[in-house]
Amino acid sequence: MADNLERAASLAISDLSIHFGGLKAVDNLSFTVYEKEIFGLIGPNGAGKTTVFNCITQFYKPNAGSVKFLANTGETVELVGRPVHTIIKLGLVRTFQNVEVIKELPLIDNVLIGAHTSFKASVFEQALTLPRARREERRFREKAMNALDILGISDRANMLAGGQPYGVLKRVELARAIVSDPKLIILDEPAAGLNESETETLSHTIKLLRDQIGCTILLVEHDMGLVMGICDRICAISFGKFLACGSPSEIQKNKLVQEAYLGEQQGGDD
Amino acid sequence: MDLTQAAGNPVYRFYKNPNVRFMFFGALLCLVPYLKDIGVFNAGMLITIGGAIIYSVAALGLNLLLGFAGLISLGVAGFVGLGAYATAYFTKDLGLAFWVAALGAIALATLIGLLVGLVSLRVSGLYLAIATLCVSEILLKTFESFDSITGGMTGKRAAYPTILGTTLTREGTYIMLVIVLVLLMMLTRNLVKGSFGRALHAMRGSEVAAQAMGVNLLKYRLLAFALSTAYAALAGALYVTFIRSSYPTTWTITLSLNILAVVVIGGFRSIYGTILGSFVAFIVPDLILKKLPVIGDVPGLAYIFNGVMIIIVIMFYPAGLIKLFSDARGLALRLVSGKARKAVN
Repeated sequence: MADNLERAASLAISDLSIHFGGLKAVDNLSFTVYEKEIFGLIGPNGAGKTTVFNCITQFYKPNAGSVKFLANTGETVELVGRPVHTIIKLGLVRTFQNVEVIKELPLIDNVLIGAHTSFKASVFEQALTLPRARREERRFREKAMNALDILGISDRANMLAGGQPYGVLKRVELARAIVSDPKLIILDEPAAGLNESETETLSHTIKLLRDQIGCTILLVEHDMGLVMGICDRICAISFGKFLACGSPSEIQKNKLVQEAYLGEQQGGDD
Repeated sequence: MDLTQAAGNPVYRFYKNPNVRFMFFGALLCLVPYLKDIGVFNAGMLITIGGAIIYSVAALGLNLLLGFAGLISLGVAGFVGLGAYATAYFTKDLGLAFWVAALGAIALATLIGLLVGLVSLRVSGLYLAIATLCVSEILLKTFESFDSITGGMTGKRAAYPTILGTTLTREGTYIMLVIVLVLLMMLTRNLVKGSFGRALHAMRGSEVAAQAMGVNLLKYRLLAFALSTAYAALAGALYVTFIRSSYPTTWTITLSLNILAVVVIGGFRSIYGTILGSFVAFIVPDLILKKLPVIGDVPGLAYIFNGVMIIIVIMFYPAGLIKLFSDARGLALRLVSGKARKAVN
């Protein structure tokens, strides 16, 4: 743990609470994700993991608490209260549990949507394809191609997303996240719907994102094999409450965590 | 047969350039008045075809809104009417040049379109359809009641445009319509291929994902509505200067529905599809069906035809009639390559 103290916090969540009517979906939750760390958030079904993600990315406005993020400007900013579409500009990007791609567009254009905020040319410049619009389009297209290349699907760049296998679409989402130049990528169940070998590739990819692109990764995942295999630290929650936080082996031994899972997945492979 | 080998060839690149193709398409449309001179068409047909071109402009705008952004509007007719009356008023009563009047009409309509865009942030789907329909009906009532500006039920007159000191003839105005259409096809293509188009796609696909990718819903919804209204108003300006009159009875919901039919029949998100749809929906009933015995005498024939077409297209060709062309080309290529293979064997 000692080296964590020297590292800067990428994301610091403190006393986060949100309730829907009488239901406390997240209750006084605090945890910190350090830079260049692969951090897992786990918990039984309905523990509020995705709700935590939505509170971080401001799709939900938390009732209390703060979400501090080390933005790409080098400053630490408070995310709570910011409009949803401004979050990505700070260097925080997310993927979705059910892949959200546009079927009618080729993969490369789907990836380019991730670079949306980097485009500076106005609608007029685009309509008349003035030099700046052309330049930007060319530059980011190249960048998107690189991202597809990193994920090993550049040969499909010009194929429509509709009809592509699920595993490919999951990678398109990752490529789309990469082109936004993120500091922190939030992955919502990246292994859901993938087979064993695809999950294997995914864990390599996630490490690659951290090591080559140098971003921090926060992920929610049910595949315990994946979580235990790649995460540096894990935070376990249940019914919106903090259970434990620590290294994979610490979490596996933790009594509270074992109880929460009721022997269903006692930290081993399912 | 490998076309990719030809990619570096300048002639091939020229042929493949979409803007060049739009211009070729425009050149073809410009032949219509000359075909009239040699007796293939008559003057009435020129007006019908010109009308289809005008409605293509409005339908391109609706396709941006409906096809790309996934936002419905049943108020297109109202905005086309607004463009028509405003242009007529600016040219006839204020004596402005046609292009100034058209720009003014577009600006006026776009302002109102922006207000509708604001409404669209609160309502969606069916309710947005109702809200836009109401705006259109309010505009229609305004056209009927403001006699001093719109001429009320007796209609408003306008003249062929005067450009650079020369007043165009009917044929000249027709050529102007084609030029405007081709320019808009180019602009529209540029718009939808860039980050603006991708943002609209993202918004249609999932608002949540679009926002996560940094798409400002307010900005892009307003832009989509503003552009769509601007196209509609431009169509109105073209209409009034080509037809030279405007009556409230033209700008009813039936026109809005016909323009919606254009987008559905031609193909969502297809530029050529929109024009094809417009030609099918506005020309086929007038120039072909009306000539048929018995059927030709049915009142409201165009609406029945468009309704039936919508049903057929949605059931069997959801991508629109424009897909017929690529399907036909695919079939032809398969036949050719099949024959080639046989020859080799």
